[in-house]
Amino acid sequence: MRKPLQVLLLLLAIAVPGMLSAQENVTGKVTDQGGTPLAGATVNIRSSKVGTQTDANGVFSLQVPNKKVKLVISYVGYSEVVVNADGNLNIQLQEDNNRLSEVVVTGLATSIKKSNAASSVTRINAKELTGTTRPATLDGAISGKIPGAQINANTGAPGGGFTIRLRGASTVAGSSDPLYVIDGVIVNNDQFPTGAGTGAFNGATSANAGSQDQAPNRISDINPADIESVEILKGPSAAAIYGTRASGGVVVITTKRGKSGKTRVSIGQDVGFAKARHLLGSSDWTPAKIATYGGVYGLNEAQALALYNAAGGKTWDYEKIVWGNTGFISNTNLTVSGGNDKTKFYASGSFQTETGIQKRTGFDRRSIRLNIDHKINNWIDLKLNTNYLNTYSSRSYTGNDNNGVSLSYSLGYIPNFIDLNKRADGTYPESPTTGQNPLEIVDRGENIERTNRFLYSGELNFALLRKENYSLKLGFRGGLDYLVSEPRNYMPEDVQYQSRRANPGASRFSTNKAFNTYMQSALVFNANVGNNFDLTTGVVMLRDRQKRDISWIQGTGLLPGQRNPSTAAVRLTESQVLAPETVVALDASQEVNWDDKIVGRVGVRADKSTLSGLNFDKYYYFPRASVAVNLTNFNFMQRFDFLSLLKPRIAYGETSGFPTNDATYSQLVGVTYGGLLGSVSPTTLGLAALDPERLSELEFGLDLGFLKNRIVVEATYYSKKTEDFLFPYTLAPSSGVTSYKLAPVGDMTNKGFELSVTADVVKRANVQWSSTILYWTNKSKVTRLIVPPAFVASSGFGAYGRKRIQQGYSPTAWWGFDSTGALIPYKDAQPDFQMSWINSVKFLKNFELNMFWHTSQGGHNSSLTRLIKDEGGTTTDWSNPGKSGDPIGVDRQATIINNFIFDASYIRLREVGLYYTVPKTVLSRTFRNVIEGVRVGISGQNLITITDYFGYDPEVSNFNTSNAGGALISGVDLTPFPATKRYFFHINIDL
Amino acid sequence: MKKIIINTFAVAAIILAAGCTKTSYVKDPNNPTVESVLQNATRIQIDQLGVGLQSVMRNGFFSFYTWSGSVGREVVYFAKTESRYYRELQGEIPIDPVGIMYDWWFSFNQTRRRAEILIQSAANTSSLTAAEKAAVTGFAKTIQAYVMLNALNMTGVNGIRTGFSDLNSPGDLLKPGCFQDYNQSLSYLKTLIDEAQTALTQGGSAFPFKTVSGWNGFNTPATFLKFNRAVAARIAMYQKDWAAMNTALSASFLDLAGAITTGPRFLYSTTAGDATNPIWQAKEEANNPLLVQVNFVPEAEAGDARVFGASIADGGTAKVRQRTTPTAPTGYPSMAYETQLYATNTSPISILRNEELILMYAEAKIQTNQLPDAVTALNKIRTSHNLLPYAGAVTQPALIDELLKQRRYSLFMEGHRWFDMRRYDRLNTLPKDKPTHNIFSQFPRHKQETDWDATNPC
Repeated sequence: MRKPLQVLLLLLAIAVPGMLSAQENVTGKVTDQGGTPLAGATVNIRSSKVGTQTDANGVFSLQVPNKKVKLVISYVGYSEVVVNADGNLNIQLQEDNNRLSEVVVTGLATSIKKSNAASSVTRINAKELTGTTRPATLDGAISGKIPGAQINANTGAPGGGFTIRLRGASTVAGSSDPLYVIDGVIVNNDQFPTGAGTGAFNGATSANAGSQDQAPNRISDINPADIESVEILKGPSAAAIYGTRASGGVVVITTKRGKSGKTRVSIGQDVGFAKARHLLGSSDWTPAKIATYGGVYGLNEAQALALYNAAGGKTWDYEKIVWGNTGFISNTNLTVSGGNDKTKFYASGSFQTETGIQKRTGFDRRSIRLNIDHKINNWIDLKLNTNYLNTYSSRSYTGNDNNGVSLSYSLGYIPNFIDLNKRADGTYPESPTTGQNPLEIVDRGENIERTNRFLYSGELNFALLRKENYSLKLGFRGGLDYLVSEPRNYMPEDVQYQSRRANPGASRFSTNKAFNTYMQSALVFNANVGNNFDLTTGVVMLRDRQKRDISWIQGTGLLPGQRNPSTAAVRLTESQVLAPETVVALDASQEVNWDDKIVGRVGVRADKSTLSGLNFDKYYYFPRASVAVNLTNFNFMQRFDFLSLLKPRIAYGETSGFPTNDATYSQLVGVTYGGLLGSVSPTTLGLAALDPERLSELEFGLDLGFLKNRIVVEATYYSKKTEDFLFPYTLAPSSGVTSYKLAPVGDMTNKGFELSVTADVVKRANVQWSSTILYWTNKSKVTRLIVPPAFVASSGFGAYGRKRIQQGYSPTAWWGFDSTGALIPYKDAQPDFQMSWINSVKFLKNFELNMFWHTSQGGHNSSLTRLIKDEGGTTTDWSNPGKSGDPIGVDRQATIINNFIFDASYIRLREVGLYYTVPKTVLSRTFRNVIEGVRVGISGQNLITITDYFGYDPEVSNFNTSNAGGALISGVDLTPFPATKRYFFHINIDL
Repeated sequence: MKKIIINTFAVAAIILAAGCTKTSYVKDPNNPTVESVLQNATRIQIDQLGVGLQSVMRNGFFSFYTWSGSVGREVVYFAKTESRYYRELQGEIPIDPVGIMYDWWFSFNQTRRRAEILIQSAANTSSLTAAEKAAVTGFAKTIQAYVMLNALNMTGVNGIRTGFSDLNSPGDLLKPGCFQDYNQSLSYLKTLIDEAQTALTQGGSAFPFKTVSGWNGFNTPATFLKFNRAVAARIAMYQKDWAAMNTALSASFLDLAGAITTGPRFLYSTTAGDATNPIWQAKEEANNPLLVQVNFVPEAEAGDARVFGASIADGGTAKVRQRTTPTAPTGYPSMAYETQLYATNTSPISILRNEELILMYAEAKIQTNQLPDAVTALNKIRTSHNLLPYAGAVTQPALIDELLKQRRYSLFMEGHRWFDMRRYDRLNTLPKDKPTHNIFSQFPRHKQETDWDATNPC
């Protein structure tokens, strides 16, 4: 259907003759406020397709039809300037703190100036991302910086692990994480199972496959230092261009590129350390308390007293022994970039290494990147991006547990008078209360993961036609993402809990592979049809494919020192090939821009996907439309000159998604029994032909600028609806089938409001202070449900709080039992609102102070952390009298929901940094121009957290995001790895 | 020149577009589908479904034995990191109808459906003879009755669904039948076991699938019928139909003179895809010890080989072992004994053995007032376990006490004690380790069942 359109466009384009006539030459120089030449600034004739770029010295030269035309000069990060094309021009650009000139994505092959955008797209540049401090991972670096996003750290373990929900959870089953696109290519962000949470290790789940492994998600591989910008397409109104892949929104990442001019060498070194943010402490014991408790956990009073007396008053703070250490962080970056008019390059190498606050834990990343831009001739250009990444993490064992292995879990049950310290002969005393000595796990248990990853992408662009009033571009884009992640878990045969097993010792080698490919061809026709009407027509065809294989071998029954599971006494293996997913899409769009006054856009994307089973060849259509009106560009607005921007906007779009990739199959499973091969029919069934769930979103917004955009306000309201959301269709278990894996069962909505206010508060010669306030809120509700209300799998633990899908209720509310035993909806896991306050102060010419506060208010977690300590009698306030007369630590164990749902509100100084740039005069005097720039600074991450929350951190999540119910998993606090605060010293040298 | 290039690109783009939009159906890369056996299954597929059914029949027994043993005050499951296992089972807090206590319910119902799929696959294929089809039906229905009796005893007055699935009518899964009360459910199980009996008698000389060695002695339709009758006797016992129980026993493998251990067994191994013995416990298990309720050992007769002496794990016959480190949840009396029912984690578990048949025989005789026969049977049990013959009063009440005592020690942790106490209305005599404990009469219906009925009324 789209093919004839392409032909027509091409013929049209070819038929129109060129008609350029007499020319005049205009030259000029573009500089910044300080007079430094800006290389690569764009100089265009207004309302025409003709333009050029400045060279390394900021100089340009352009043929214009006459000197009455106007030139538009723009450069990323600077305000756009319009001048008359007259004579020799000296143009000074002002830095644009409000960033309305930035370009944001509007299509698979098109983008637009932010000041003309109709949907709210948040764009984060390199400075905002990592300019203040150095979060270890990309998702950590955007945390709190995106209005409309709920970004939650799952654990404090090195290497991170984050859950991101853009404008609420848009699906229920499976992950609702956004799609990540790097340089135009879809990349993997899976959280692969490692096995750490399975029976042989901490036993969080009795299944052989891990669902509570607390592994990092794979976007943590990406080096944040290579990123030029991150754009967030939050809801379907902006993300519709990614169709069936975009139900969770899209994170569009652009990496840094070379600029023509002098070759720049930049060396950055960060040195830092990490400390536990908060520890819970442990209560002291007395014979009286032992009597009240009835002994200690697992031991009767006489046994407990014997141990108490044996200690002779000595106590050990095991929490401090395990997590009281200081982690060391080093981060080295070397970048070389430069080029000429034809070829530009950006090369970087980076080595990041962190040790955790726990012995033998840590995170390393090695990254090599080479980005090349080359102009083959004046109408063909080429971009190539290559990136190799190697990451390593060692995270030990925390979180849920059934074997006494998880450190934070077992510490809750260990009274501080029991001596568990390593003996002189190298052995560890057995823990009498928990079944495993935690110090032995610290020293001897292993939970590591090594990942090798290649990212390649490229673009080939043809400027087929470039005339005064129209242009035609053909672009091909392709790329791949290949990663192999190899988690390894090991428990020696003589650690306490293993030694009693039938086959002591456990080792698990896993190999998780993901391979994504992406291909896209796009044709963009742009024409100015007079009266400043600018039309852009785009046609795109794309195909993307994602494939994952998960396999592991686990051996139990090991020889001393043996790690290879393949020769263990008992072996378990699994090789799971996840069905390859292919999406084919055709997309057509039309944009109309009337003199930057009214900008309208319509488009439709047609997708088909192999995930829909027997519907694999059926196209699903996703329309989108938007209008933005720049009222201030109309003449009648000129009299309101205090208003520099008044832009109402409205946008609509649709996307869809599939939560998992095997929902269409009903599998027979092979078993062996008594040496015979058997097959077993499934207890969950697939619907052979499955339509994706469909999301639609209507977004209204108003952008306001005052005092020449010194103050810019952006306000957005959205209403997002998920129709026919897919959810396990729970059957009566007595039918012998638990559920249909996924079926369309209902509708839900997410509605919210986002506000951003940016102001240049102080703008003096020696002090400049710019400040941004972000505020956002989201509410979710299930509006239709055709199946019985059902708890969401892996969303919590029984009576301690779970999420439930029930019509008329929020899908993120915690459900539990009140004091009468009745099931009730309690508080909501989603915060009432979040707010950020981002400040940058430049003073005394060379100093810069950045400070970023973030708060989340009214969210709630389901916490078992206090329960565990109450059960063990180790909460510091355990002995205080409770209402019933029993100690409060006993009272709080009653299975009443309000004992386990905690307000997770917090105010946090997420990032703070103070930098000093050594003046150039000093440098040239000292180093004779060998060194161009030196910048030093100190910074910190999460230095201050104000919260009443009981637990290691209000940001927490126990379950893997890939679980069924993955969209709603967050907020389960079950003794995670403690969160850290990090301190840095930075030095950056430019040669 | 440029026009030619542009035209070339245009043509290339169109070809590329046409070629790149093709998609094809992706078959499940990991497993065959269930649809592949429901029509025209091959003999190999029937064989594999038969083995699969024998395998899944083992599912659910850890929770069934441990939960019923906990409520019946045989054991305390002191899971160190999951207090719900003892707090709920010992009745300190109510059983969460949607919590972690329902593995047995899911497993037994799933086994019933899997048996049904075998029956349907056999019925809808031309690769089996009529006799083989009958043999499959007899085997599968016997297993259905066996597992669902276990499920029914757990739910008690809450009953089970007697209609659950009809694979011949698509969508019927969405309309399972109603729950029936305890007695109606027992009638359904009796019908099922008798239908199985009829089918087995028409079942020819061999099953069309291989049987694991655990079924040795019961692996032809004719010999499997003896197991079928043993299950029928259990059903009759719960129906208090003593005559039917007697009849069923006489057609079973009851042997008053034979070894008490005779009977089919579940097998276990550490082979991948297989399962290990779920009841097996490491000695001095520290994380999830299965502790023996404090009254069990003191209330045993001196010298009882089921209780005293070396434990099974240590090569002896005692089902319990004294720990070097007694332990207990907070507030409970310290428990010195742990269960040691199996020597290794690959030891077989008896499905139903002659010992239980002899006890059922004794009960039928007591209830029909043939007391000397009952005493003979009870003495067979007593002497097998190193006890002297019965010396108490030979009256119905006294012998019922003795019977329940022998059942308590012979069938320890095998899913009987709680139900014995219930059917003789003696739940209130079970000991409580803490005054705040309660003794439940049955498990509540699972929340998904009540939710289903609320949305889809019967």
